[in-house]
Amino acid sequence: MLETAPLAQGMSARRGAARRKPLRTAIVHSMLFAASVLMLYPLLWMLSASFKPQDEIFSGSLFPSSVSLDAYVRGWNGLSVSFGTFFMNSLVIAALSIIGNLAACSLTAFAFSRLQFVGRRLWFGVMLVTMMLPYHVTLIPQYVLFFNLGWVNTILPLVVPKFLAADGFFIFLMVQFFRSIPFELQEAAMIDGCGPWQIYFNIMLPLSKPVLATAAIFTFIFTWDDFFGPLVYLSDVRNYTVALGLRTFVDSQGLSDWSAVFAMSCLVIVPVFLVFVFFQRFLIEGIATSGLKR
Amino acid sequence: MAVQWKRRLARSKAGYLFLLPWLVGFFGLTLGPALASLYLSFTRFDLFRAPKWVGAANYVRIATDDPNFMASMRVTFLYVACSIPLKLAVALALAMVLNRGIRGLPIYRALFYLPSLLGASVAVAILWRQLFAGDGLVNALLANFGIQGPSWISNPHYALWTLVLLSIWQFGSPMVIFLAGLRQIPADLYEAANLDGASRPRRFFSITLPLLTPVIFFNFIVQMIDAFQSFTPAFIVSRGTGGPVNSTLFYALYIYQEAFSHFQMGYAAALAWILLLLIAAFTAFSFLSSRFWVYYDA
Repeated sequence: MLETAPLAQGMSARRGAARRKPLRTAIVHSMLFAASVLMLYPLLWMLSASFKPQDEIFSGSLFPSSVSLDAYVRGWNGLSVSFGTFFMNSLVIAALSIIGNLAACSLTAFAFSRLQFVGRRLWFGVMLVTMMLPYHVTLIPQYVLFFNLGWVNTILPLVVPKFLAADGFFIFLMVQFFRSIPFELQEAAMIDGCGPWQIYFNIMLPLSKPVLATAAIFTFIFTWDDFFGPLVYLSDVRNYTVALGLRTFVDSQGLSDWSAVFAMSCLVIVPVFLVFVFFQRFLIEGIATSGLKR
Repeated sequence: MAVQWKRRLARSKAGYLFLLPWLVGFFGLTLGPALASLYLSFTRFDLFRAPKWVGAANYVRIATDDPNFMASMRVTFLYVACSIPLKLAVALALAMVLNRGIRGLPIYRALFYLPSLLGASVAVAILWRQLFAGDGLVNALLANFGIQGPSWISNPHYALWTLVLLSIWQFGSPMVIFLAGLRQIPADLYEAANLDGASRPRRFFSITLPLLTPVIFFNFIVQMIDAFQSFTPAFIVSRGTGGPVNSTLFYALYIYQEAFSHFQMGYAAALAWILLLLIAAFTAFSFLSSRFWVYYDA
């Protein structure tokens, strides 16, 4: 999708130039390889430390002398509530957030990109401004609102805003994509008597699977990693998300059991890492396109 | 005429119907709360008793009698001013290397991108806290060379720099954006420059850099707004204190402490509004300055 024909030609011409200088290519590759290792070393070290016996952790080696899963067992049950609960809570929040974001943001984006209505440009501008608004400005009154609704210490403050398209980033991402779908399709459908709902459901959504996938993936990662929201709104340890559970665990441990802390850290990273492995293309295209077309 | 208006309004109805969830969110979760927090910033408010109007007292105290505010300003500005140029420089440099048509580009791109995907998580912040602890991995490695390192995170001179490093480590996402930007530069420009015998640095400064300025500008704005609001790494590494000696008291962390540890919600609202004005001022300034260094048409 990123590679267009003339660019591919330019690339192959340059690749040809690289082939003529094998030494130079080898140097570039070894430097890039060294840089990747340096970058990933902390993560790999954490992974290996989670399998190491306690006394071996601080050797910088990436290979434990013996592999042990003790740390995972100690960590999993390290708090009064097991990490299974935290994973469950995080999954529920992430799933609801994905549903909310996809539904609400696609409706909004459809209106902004495909429907004519009075004040459209104004509202779109307003939406762009809200994207730049630091969340601290709305934080306290939102907290008071949710507090008075009795929602504090439930997942509602974390999930309901998603159903109200509160994150402009996803609206923007979808608007960019919807605009690239030819208008002729919509016009043909309108001549056939389709209303906006039918166009939205039967034309736009089926054609927008890539951007919906991108939005779902980013929503998952953002909510999985979110620390501030749960920190503010969740106080009962049974409602904790993985991020919050992890922080509580590390603070309860002091400095005693690093391998258990690392074991749980690795587990918490695993879902995001899997998403990265399987959906990398969507992530990178999502970043590249939303970044380029302002 | 009347028919046309009727049709426009009929179509508007559909538009607003689709917009309804967002409109409810905008008024209920954004505009309403923003105005409410402006009001609260002129009150004393602890969540449990009704807000008490105190005029500009909060702002006066912030400006004249709050050493923590000054400390958090200093820390946040230092963080923004150091981490962003370095991060963008690393991102651009690696994007340039990767864009030279090397084999395995997708693999390198993925590997370099991974830290920025994981970097915002609590897990990585915990890892960082261990890496730069007194008995952490960095010092264990330094000991191999006979160097005894300090406890980086509990030394007020170094603590902030570990967080700057954490931010630079996440250069992957601006790098991906730079890569996409580099691919948009027409290859024939370079061919023409080659015919004219332009040197490599010359090509960089006369073609690549000017044509990339919109992307640099975009990355700069996004990263700046994000860095001003950075919270999780400082919170985890300093265990919520912003220490040692306020040296990692990020502005967002200070707001959190005032609001949710001390329940000074009015005061925290005033702090939040100052943050908004600061970010708005910096963004506006960047957009104004962009007229002089960003080239939009090539």
